[in-house]
Amino acid sequence: MPKIIIDGNEIEFKQGQTIIEAAKDHGIEIPHFCWHPKLSVSGNCRMCLVEVEKMPKLVIACATVASEGMVVHTQSPKTIAARNAVMEFLLINHPLDCPICDEAGECKLQDYAYQHSIGESRFVEEKVHKDKRVKIGPRVMFDAERCISCSRCIRFCDEIAKDSELTFTRRGDRVTITTFPGEELDNPYSMNVVDICPVGALTNADFRFKARVWDMSHTNSICIGCSRGCNIEIWVRNNEILRLTPRHNEDVNSYWMCDHGRLNTFKFVNSETRVNSPHIRKEGQLIRVSWDEAFAEAASRLRTFGKDQIAVIGSAYATCEDNYLVSKFAKNILGTGNLDFIRHIDYSFADDILRKEDLTPNSLGAELMGVKPLKNGLNVEEIIKSIKEGKIKALYLIEDDILTADPEIETYLAKLELLIVHAANFNQSTNFADIVFPAATYAEKNGTFINFQGRLQRIRPAVATIEVDRALEGMALSRLDKFGTKFDRWAQGKHFDARATWKILTSLSNAFGSRWKYKMAEDVFDEMVSSIPELKGLNYDIIGDLGVQLKLEKVNVV
Amino acid sequence: MAQTSDSLKKRKKDLTFWQKIYIPEIAKGLALTFKNMIRPKFTMEYPEEKFIPPPSYRGRPVLVLEETGEERCVACGLCSRVCPALAIEVQAAETEREKERYPQKFEINMLRCIFCGLCEEVCPEEAIVMSKDYELAFTNREDAIYGKDKLLTPVSQLKDRIEFLRKYK
Amino acid sequence: MNITEIIIVSLIKIVFVLGITLLTVAYLVYFERKIAAWAQNRIGPNRVGWQGILQPFADVFKLLLKEDIVPEKANRIVHAIAPMIALFVAFTTYAVIPIGPNVNIFGYDISLVVADVNMGVLYVLALTSLGVYAITFAGWSSGSKYSLLGGIRSSAQMISYEISMGFSIGGVLLLAESLRPIDIVNSQAGLWNAIIQPIGFITFVVSAFAETNRLPFDLPEAEPELVGGFHTEYSSMKFAGFFLAEYANMIIASAMIVTLYLGGWHLPFEQSLGLSGSWLTVFQITSFFVKMGAMLFFFIWVRWSIPRFRYDQLMNLGWKVMFPLSLINIIWVAVIIMITN
Ligand code: SF4
Ligand code: SF4
Ligand code: SF4
Ligand code: SF4
Ligand code: FES
Repeated sequence: MPKIIIDGNEIEFKQGQTIIEAAKDHGIEIPHFCWHPKLSVSGNCRMCLVEVEKMPKLVIACATVASEGMVVHTQSPKTIAARNAVMEFLLINHPLDCPICDEAGECKLQDYAYQHSIGESRFVEEKVHKDKRVKIGPRVMFDAERCISCSRCIRFCDEIAKDSELTFTRRGDRVTITTFPGEELDNPYSMNVVDICPVGALTNADFRFKARVWDMSHTNSICIGCSRGCNIEIWVRNNEILRLTPRHNEDVNSYWMCDHGRLNTFKFVNSETRVNSPHIRKEGQLIRVSWDEAFAEAASRLRTFGKDQIAVIGSAYATCEDNYLVSKFAKNILGTGNLDFIRHIDYSFADDILRKEDLTPNSLGAELMGVKPLKNGLNVEEIIKSIKEGKIKALYLIEDDILTADPEIETYLAKLELLIVHAANFNQSTNFADIVFPAATYAEKNGTFINFQGRLQRIRPAVATIEVDRALEGMALSRLDKFGTKFDRWAQGKHFDARATWKILTSLSNAFGSRWKYKMAEDVFDEMVSSIPELKGLNYDIIGDLGVQLKLEKVNVV
Repeated sequence: MAQTSDSLKKRKKDLTFWQKIYIPEIAKGLALTFKNMIRPKFTMEYPEEKFIPPPSYRGRPVLVLEETGEERCVACGLCSRVCPALAIEVQAAETEREKERYPQKFEINMLRCIFCGLCEEVCPEEAIVMSKDYELAFTNREDAIYGKDKLLTPVSQLKDRIEFLRKYK
Repeated sequence: MNITEIIIVSLIKIVFVLGITLLTVAYLVYFERKIAAWAQNRIGPNRVGWQGILQPFADVFKLLLKEDIVPEKANRIVHAIAPMIALFVAFTTYAVIPIGPNVNIFGYDISLVVADVNMGVLYVLALTSLGVYAITFAGWSSGSKYSLLGGIRSSAQMISYEISMGFSIGGVLLLAESLRPIDIVNSQAGLWNAIIQPIGFITFVVSAFAETNRLPFDLPEAEPELVGGFHTEYSSMKFAGFFLAEYANMIIASAMIVTLYLGGWHLPFEQSLGLSGSWLTVFQITSFFVKMGAMLFFFIWVRWSIPRFRYDQLMNLGWKVMFPLSLINIIWVAVIIMITN
């Protein structure tokens, strides 16, 4: 392999790589604004200037292709002086907006102002004024004064979202970003420009002014918006999710996620409709009861039905661990083969960037865990049919809404003698339920999902439920979580009395007299590993942050 | 160490005879305290007579209320971040005014505050300053959490401190 | 006087002396606080009553109402007895202190002393050395290291200074040729012992400070190092007992100094005033109390002027300075007697 020398270190590079790429591969960071590993090179910010021996002038590392024997200096006096100069130019017209800017704390310009600038301005004239608070798209706010004209957002729309909406207009210090006439920044991936904008020019309209980044904890997780399973970070303050951001995983979602996933997959966690503690229907009303009472009631009522009168519906929203126990519960405890889960397919959602037609994160997982009809067992359609016919008298529904599978079933649900639902939020099905167990959401539990590619990925708890202590559980802690006491209003965020489905089923089956001993999701996973050949040799540590690709025979559930 | 014992020795040697027999020295000490007994007293009889601190005094932090009736604070949260005692909670929200942000909620827990003045020092808007108010007593924890109603103070009452800050900060 | 009369008179005297002492103790605390304040340019207690005059009562009620806490590891009986011993010793000593010459009331010739014992001085010495038991017991029974250290320090200190105290008194006894306090007072009608034997006076005063555990010799309490010394583990009325005893001891010490060295109720020029009999008595009693008051003021004044001694300094001073000085004093008195005879 060819070699170049950067700051005295000899490093290898692949033919065709630029200096900045070669350096990045070896952990050398060259400051840059406009370069992005997934976008084309535009070379307009000049922040990445480096000194290359035998070249007459400094060159930009993002556009200079490395060649054998090149000697590059990233810390020479000349480069440092050049960087200082670039920063000084950038800051000439940059407003002193940090106090009101949502980017503060994760802003490249701020960071570089500390690292690469002398921190003094010689500019005494009035700064150029441009538009502020522009709603450039339905989900994105634009502040023209803060823009440093790196063109990352333009290139993103052109190259990644494949929907050219943005462009530069005007020239010199008046240059600004705008949408093409009659257009809005409204492509389904528009909010990624918020992440890649190195400054606070483009900000998240939904998250606007909600919290400072340094007040939040962030937890690695997986988006549940579709079966792509984009890697994300969940940002939490005071036990409330405030935003999601994509996390780099080249095999799944690269640096991106779609706006639907970013905005619509976390609000239910802290919503008013959450089921808080178990409920039992008494005299037509759902009444809050204790866990023990709910378990006893569920067990004693389930016992009164014959095997063929019961059906269990698992969930592609629930984790593999949950579904594994659902299937075990149905087969071993209830002894029924009427076991399946509801598919949520919407072809109009899919595109050829990230979005998939399957709107659940774990269909493959549910199936692999054995949530499917046994021989002579009924599948979802047949279960629904049997309910209508009155053959199925008891339904155990996990984390889903059966009305989404067949709206007509509403009239027949009342006919059921027993409907038990695990639900995070009250929904149409809980309206008919006799017993509702509050299910922990994906943001409150450990577990695994299998995405459409057959990739096994982990989710982690970011929000604490009532029985969880963040610190003891090893959850991510913000500064406020670390030091808050029960007397601080900023540490009294809502904690719901909910449990993961695997945990509920463990207690319930013990009420049936079996002795399940799962203390944590990992215990369930370890048992899965020993009984499901596809998972052989895996554990949570191996799955890690980026997941592992499974070898599945059939890779498409649809 | 050697040095100290040397200097000790020297000191003992340097004592005069009268100092060594100690009694005149006691008399001197007694005379001094007696002199003080008949000097004017410094005691300020507090609730009747109040101490008005100089501008350099750091009483409870307050928010500056402009003459226009708006608060200066833009809810940047820097004071909350710098506060070593985590006394401050700020929740920002959007306003139609030019400054875009304002504190929808601004609370200082006076039981946490240690009157260090770092919030005042870090504030980019000169929006939080240390007042001269030192009369802080509560009968329950909730009362000690001061919201915007108690924090906002007209700028006219804070002239002293702001002048002091501009001069010395 | 028959036996009933003697008992009645004695009872009246006891009640009188006890009442005065308790009141004096209470106000002594008040003045201690006032003088401390003045020395520090403060005002001192002034909220309870006019100029804080009722402060002592507030203090007493506060102490009375406090919870009595006894440490788990304490020896409860000894712990309770210790303050009683302290109080008992402090108050019984008053019995032999004469406050004035004999007076004639309703035809009775009454000496102004509760018990006119002919070996009164010995009695005082004996009782005050019992006082060390209170402190030692308190220190030992509390089951706390601070208390124990305080108790041990105090026994060592008291024993050491008792010696120089005893020898200083020796000089006085030689001159008065009696152990009776009244005789000692009367022997000073002309010239006070303080003037005849200044060394004895100084050693006695210093020893008195040490015996009463007052600054600069308050090592048994020494707040900064021992928290509170022997009474660290005491609260409520038991603590008040020690507190009272300390101040009562101060009064005794002052009274003893006045009796032994400052001419008791005698003033050098009293005869030249030409006062008639009973007025002279009143004058003399007043002079006794004024002298005593001055001594008490001195006690307090010293406390707020001189810092505490280190323990080794205290022992050095007791054994290597005070003890030899008191011996010198005896020789000095002996020489005087030899010359005047
Ligand atoms: S808005 Fe942001 S990403 Fe777009 S050109 Fe300006 S600075 Fe770059
Ligand atoms: S593409 Fe799918 S997984 Fe990715 S963010 Fe969108 S909804 Fe979530
Ligand atoms: S630092 Fe100043 S402007 Fe920022 S939140 Fe605090 S008071 Fe408001
Ligand atoms: S004075 Fe110090 S402790 Fe008090 S609120 Fe300000 S920063 Fe916090
Ligand atoms: S990163 Fe190279 S010019 Fe912007």
